[in-house]
Amino acid sequence: MAHPSQLGFQDAASPVMEELLHFHDHTLMIVFLISTLVLYIIVAMVSTKLTNKYVLDSQEIEIVWTVLPAVILILIALPSLRILYLMDEINDPHLTIKAMGHQWYWSYEYTDYENLGFDSYMIPTQDLTPGQFRLLETDHRMVVPMESPIRVLVSAEDVLHAWAVPALGIKMDAVPGRLNQTAFITSRPGVYYGQCSEICGANHSFMPIVVEAVPLEHFENWSSLMLEES
Amino acid sequence: MLSSRAAVRGLQLFTWRSLSTSTCLQEAHGKEIATSSIDCSQPQYNDRLDTPLPDIPYVTKFNTEQSKLKEKEKGPWTQLSKEEKLALYRLSHRQTFAEMKKGSSEWKTVVGGMFFFLGFTGLVIWWQRVFVFGKPPHTLSEEWVAMQTQRMIDMRVNPISGFSSEWDYNTKQWKK
Repeated sequence: MAHPSQLGFQDAASPVMEELLHFHDHTLMIVFLISTLVLYIIVAMVSTKLTNKYVLDSQEIEIVWTVLPAVILILIALPSLRILYLMDEINDPHLTIKAMGHQWYWSYEYTDYENLGFDSYMIPTQDLTPGQFRLLETDHRMVVPMESPIRVLVSAEDVLHAWAVPALGIKMDAVPGRLNQTAFITSRPGVYYGQCSEICGANHSFMPIVVEAVPLEHFENWSSLMLEES
Repeated sequence: MLSSRAAVRGLQLFTWRSLSTSTCLQEAHGKEIATSSIDCSQPQYNDRLDTPLPDIPYVTKFNTEQSKLKEKEKGPWTQLSKEEKLALYRLSHRQTFAEMKKGSSEWKTVVGGMFFFLGFTGLVIWWQRVFVFGKPPHTLSEEWVAMQTQRMIDMRVNPISGFSSEWDYNTKQWKK
């Protein structure tokens, strides 16, 4: 989760998010350089006392400021496309989970081996135990084994929702009648929070997502426990 | 409906010329128009820093006194007094360079107005805080934030270069 007043990204919990972090650093640096240059030119133009009323054309600089932006765009596009194709690689997941969006909660189905399904409602603010995070905690978390490729099939039962976990670099629309697939591997154990990212009615801001990455034995214990409860 | 169409047509054909206020029509009837429009086919006078020599002098029609001064100007300039030279300057120029560059006090009005509206906005925001907003959630109290922070540290939230990377787990305090 983000700490209060955090401006930058959360630390990456998956390799794809790591790549996105570095790409963002690269692109933002280019943006800062261009903005600084433009700001400098604006200040120089506004504060000069010189005038030149007789400029007609200037072929050399026109070539420069056409070719240079094209080169910069290529320098941005190549890493971007690399990550795009990286995200779509064949990944042979160990587990497939279905995340279904409802108004206003998520439900998760683990149906690879047994029929495990449960709903995940936000814990209301007045019911939080001391120290819990307001508007982020849920009664049941989506527990996954760490360092294993996981496939998530995202859909919705009523209106559009979106399943997003920023620390994993995931956001996928939940469209009724459609199955959208996304995949991730968690590089480290931990609890990762996200929030519904498509306006879906009155409680759109109150249906968070919590992914808990744990070692495999813990995952097996948890799923047995959940199966007994249901 | 027929009558309104006829009225419009009549206006178009017969009364436009008598009701029109266009200046070319009025001038054609001999009325002197005191306009602020300029005839751009003629050379214009200008006060511009980047065009220091205007195309025409500022005053072109001289009264008797000015004509006498202009005649004196045709002789040696060493015989002109300082006041006469200044008067000649003012005949051919409207402003001096110093007057052109001087600028106005408009910025004071702009800045003052800006501060006024900022202050007014602040007043509106204060009023909202007092009369509109409800109580903040109990999770923003100091005790809850302390427990929450400890829980974030225990959960290793953002341990690589974010939140928990600033905590020293050995000495149990924030890194210096």
